Amino acid sequence: MPAPYLTAPISSDPRSALSLAAQAPTFTTSQASSWWSSLPYPLTLFLNTESQEKWTSYENLFLACLRTGDFPTAYTCLEALIARFGKTNDHILALQGLYQEATAQNMGELEEVMKAYDEVLKEDPTIFSVRKRRAALLRSVGKAAEAIADLTVLVDASPTDAEAWAELADLYLSQGGIEQAVYCLEEVLLVMPNAWNMHARLGEVVYMSAQKMEGGDQMKALAESMRRFCRSIELCDGYLRGYYGLRVTTGTLLDALQGAKKGQTTASDPLAGDLAPPSIATVKKLNELATAKLAEIARRGTAGEKGWDGYSEAELKAAKDLIDRDTQRIER
Amino acid sequence: MAAIATAINVLGVLFLSHAVYSAYEHSLLPSASTPPPLSHSLLPNSLDPKITLPLDITLETLFSVLLLCAGMVLSSADLKPIQWRVWAGTLEASQEAREVKEVGVGGGNPYQALEERVGFWDVRGVGKATRGWMDGGGDKKGKGRA
Repeated sequence: MPAPYLTAPISSDPRSALSLAAQAPTFTTSQASSWWSSLPYPLTLFLNTESQEKWTSYENLFLACLRTGDFPTAYTCLEALIARFGKTNDHILALQGLYQEATAQNMGELEEVMKAYDEVLKEDPTIFSVRKRRAALLRSVGKAAEAIADLTVLVDASPTDAEAWAELADLYLSQGGIEQAVYCLEEVLLVMPNAWNMHARLGEVVYMSAQKMEGGDQMKALAESMRRFCRSIELCDGYLRGYYGLRVTTGTLLDALQGAKKGQTTASDPLAGDLAPPSIATVKKLNELATAKLAEIARRGTAGEKGWDGYSEAELKAAKDLIDRDTQRIER
Repeated sequence: MAAIATAINVLGVLFLSHAVYSAYEHSLLPSASTPPPLSHSLLPNSLDPKITLPLDITLETLFSVLLLCAGMVLSSADLKPIQWRVWAGTLEASQEAREVKEVGVGGGNPYQALEERVGFWDVRGVGKATRGWMDGGGDKKGKGRA
């Protein structure tokens, strides 16, 4: 199987999904029109066309077709998957639900899809894939509070499901509950402590919450955000997002620390497990390190050197803008 | 590097086969079977072939073995990173590491799934956005990762 079919077309770039969807019809016809599949049952046992890639490809093509609106081909892929795995397989139930959600024309049909999910869950409440689809449907129609309730039940039942915690954090953030979002992201990190992108995400969310605070609390939050970004860089060399966050947080923290030198000092309670806010010298050094690294990554990434071509253009541009913005400030 | 390593391997094999064949040829000569003047052999009498090989054949054998060792080491694959941060850094920085070569091999950042969350995919919203992008002309520079 050619490799392009093995990546799911979920990313924010629609071009990969377009190209996958364009190749889908040829793939399905090539799988169907083999002369040996029309042999009687005992002989087909000797001719094995199964492979892991085959079914992963079917699923990815299905998702790409749903995304671009090519519903007939999507249905063909879904039928092939059902024929292989059965209608009552957990994952296939979720894919069927996806198809019905995508082809629903109005709210009435979506309500029917919701009822179908509820029926499946009444029979077997442990099908997590359908629970997740139900929460996703609630979110998609705008019922965020119900989606949050659903997801809360989900994570209560399965506290090690990092994906569910991450989705809950995203939902809370979209509804403005930053503290709850921070709690959920910390749960994600409990389950997956080496996820450098989630450390960066938590740093970003804590930074957002710090901007709403004042004084000592703000300093503590800024310090925590900076530490999260530092951890993400420890876990991943040359992490652009981590260095960007480090640059931003250390910049704000320097302003706050220099302001606080004249004013009050923050109370850090060692018994409660708080760390003292970092010294100005440390923050300055981190700031310079982040600037230098950002400049290096931006330079090498735009030059397209081998081993540095994985950064997207938007990221590199943002890094360059950040550096230029601050050099402009210094020049003035 | 690959060419040099292959050349060294080929030379090593040639020298080894030459040495082995020379030893065989030498053993067929009648003069070879005269026992050495003072035979301190470490081998017991029944196992001792009692043949004297000239020094250059021995040296050639050793030289060819050294060449083969060097060639095998040089032609082996690159070492993969064992430090987590180096491995993670290559995933973030290089496009090649993101390709999925087989199911379960490659695929880039395994924690990207926490941010993409396939189980909760909003098919209606994303579908509408994609179709809007396609209708609006498409193929402009898309946002996000390529």
